[in-house]
Amino acid sequence: MSRILQLSLRHINSVTKYPNQATNELLKNCARANSNKTRTNSDDLFQEFTDWETLNKKKTVSKAMKAYLERAREHDDFMKKQEFEFTVGKRHLANMMGEDPETFTQKDVDRAIEYLFPSGIYDPAARPLMKPPEEVFPARKAAEFDEAGRPHHFLFYTGRPNFFKLLYDASEHIQNIYKFEDKVIRKKAIPDPNAKLELTSSVWYSKEELEQHLVENITELEYENFKLVMERLVSLPYSYRSKEFIEKVRKPIASQKFALEIPKPSYDEEGREYITTYECLRKKARGDVTIRSPGSGKITINGKDITYFADTQSREQVTFPLLFTGMEDRVDVECNIEGGGPSGQAGAIRWGIAWGLRSFVDKSMIDSMQVAGLLTRDPRKRERKKPGQPGARKKPTWKRR
Amino acid sequence: MYPRILRRMLKSKPLVIPRNNSTASQPIEDLETNKINGTETITKNPLDYPDFFQVHKLFTVKDLFDARVHFGHKEGSLNEFMAPYLYGSRLGHLIFDLDITAEHLRKALNFTAHIAYRGGVICFFNRNALNAHLVEKTAQECGEYAHTRFWRGGIFTNANHQFGAITRLPDLCIFLNTQNNILHQHTAVRDSAKMLIPTIGIVDTNCNPNLITYPVPGNDDTPAAIQLYCKLFKAAIQLGKEARMKFLQEEDQVETNK
Repeated sequence: MSRILQLSLRHINSVTKYPNQATNELLKNCARANSNKTRTNSDDLFQEFTDWETLNKKKTVSKAMKAYLERAREHDDFMKKQEFEFTVGKRHLANMMGEDPETFTQKDVDRAIEYLFPSGIYDPAARPLMKPPEEVFPARKAAEFDEAGRPHHFLFYTGRPNFFKLLYDASEHIQNIYKFEDKVIRKKAIPDPNAKLELTSSVWYSKEELEQHLVENITELEYENFKLVMERLVSLPYSYRSKEFIEKVRKPIASQKFALEIPKPSYDEEGREYITTYECLRKKARGDVTIRSPGSGKITINGKDITYFADTQSREQVTFPLLFTGMEDRVDVECNIEGGGPSGQAGAIRWGIAWGLRSFVDKSMIDSMQVAGLLTRDPRKRERKKPGQPGARKKPTWKRR
Repeated sequence: MYPRILRRMLKSKPLVIPRNNSTASQPIEDLETNKINGTETITKNPLDYPDFFQVHKLFTVKDLFDARVHFGHKEGSLNEFMAPYLYGSRLGHLIFDLDITAEHLRKALNFTAHIAYRGGVICFFNRNALNAHLVEKTAQECGEYAHTRFWRGGIFTNANHQFGAITRLPDLCIFLNTQNNILHQHTAVRDSAKMLIPTIGIVDTNCNPNLITYPVPGNDDTPAAIQLYCKLFKAAIQLGKEARMKFLQEEDQVETNK
């Protein structure tokens, strides 16, 4: 039993998230033990390739590819070893837990590890774990060149082939559009106005998004260049011919539809149209406003009339949207408001009335209400008092002497 | 009136350049004459022939003239190492001797074709934004490589670190202009020399040809001239690659017959 425990422990060590010295040594030993055998294997492997460099009968492979193959083979061996150890370790673990090794799933493994090695480490990533090796060790980048060492991409030596290929394609598109434009001018035609590119609903990728799209890091200056060349492309009259290419590096703007949607009024039991605006907020005040049409200009605030507010300023605030739209004797207003003081409550009601009136006025009036600031919420709130000073901003009196 | 540098040179020793003003291509040894004793034992090694790929047929001096290759810069910007390649000066502008240019260009094209035949990696360079697209397009069309962008230091000299793995560097660098801007030489010229990578460079009258393996004196700014160079180098590379494909196919046949 102790031997089993030892074995499985060693295994658990070797596949923890941060492989330690033991893993490296293991790998080295494995490489040393297999060195004779692998030599012949690799030679066979290299024999299959044509020698592109010297065209000689004796065939060799480029140094770059040789190094890559060597690394790939080492990695494969290592992964195979890890895979084997994982399956053995899993069987031992199942036996220790007294369960059937055949039906022992990854979930059971996690549970068993948590039971056998309870850990109070805060970061879950640092706790002991036992996962399949392909989850623990990151995937490796594929070779960017063929067996002769020739890179696949024609701009490989620039270091950012995908980014510069994008610029190259953009300039190719620009040149094609120029050529097309010349042809059209010779035929004395004009660009199709209906086919114009619609660019208001989307924006260029941000630098981070572009980097993700290209799988390459680019500098600020390179991003500026990208925007310049793309702006130039879309400014051409026939840019719609490159629509597909342009849309690949643009993303749609999240639409702000809720503000444009004006609700249709419903009908109450008396057959009058009404609309209720909830969540009318201003300072600490909060309430809802119901507008009924047709009406006689009756205003009800918490069961009282406009005299609910003692001061004229608040009364003016409440009546302003009605006066502005000229609806003061055509609708009735009912409000329930709580919290805050008179000015906050009046402001909340003002916004609620204006918001509700949108359903009863025409489009141009809504626009002028927008311009007058009636439809804009006032987000200002009381600022908290700061320690060490008497108010939010006020500082204690300060004298040099 | 010749520029001072030319006058000084003329005074010290007379220019003796075998002049050939004909626009016809130079005669070249026929491949057939290289047969040993008239038998069929033709040596298959292209290096045994002076112009195996027949690159001398690709252009004539007239083509160079039509593409405005002979236009140099103004007298004042002359690099003294470029003096031997000049024909003279007209209205303050230096004029290349196209016979010399043709000779150099043929050597360069021949070398390019041989590199392509051997499966070498060829990289085109050009730092002039006006011609960058054309150069990149040429590189793509002939299956080779291009670098027409800002040169980040160490791409050759620190390649394994820059690309994150052992990387095969180009076997030939073709500079369609050797200047980074009007004042400074492209760093890749120096780096290629450091890494023992042979270079072909179109050198204008204001460029320094010293570090270039195959300098080709000629105009490096005009799009017409760059178009001609691109066309010629592309043709040479394709000649080399065709010969290579033929060779590989023959090899395969020989092996299957065995």
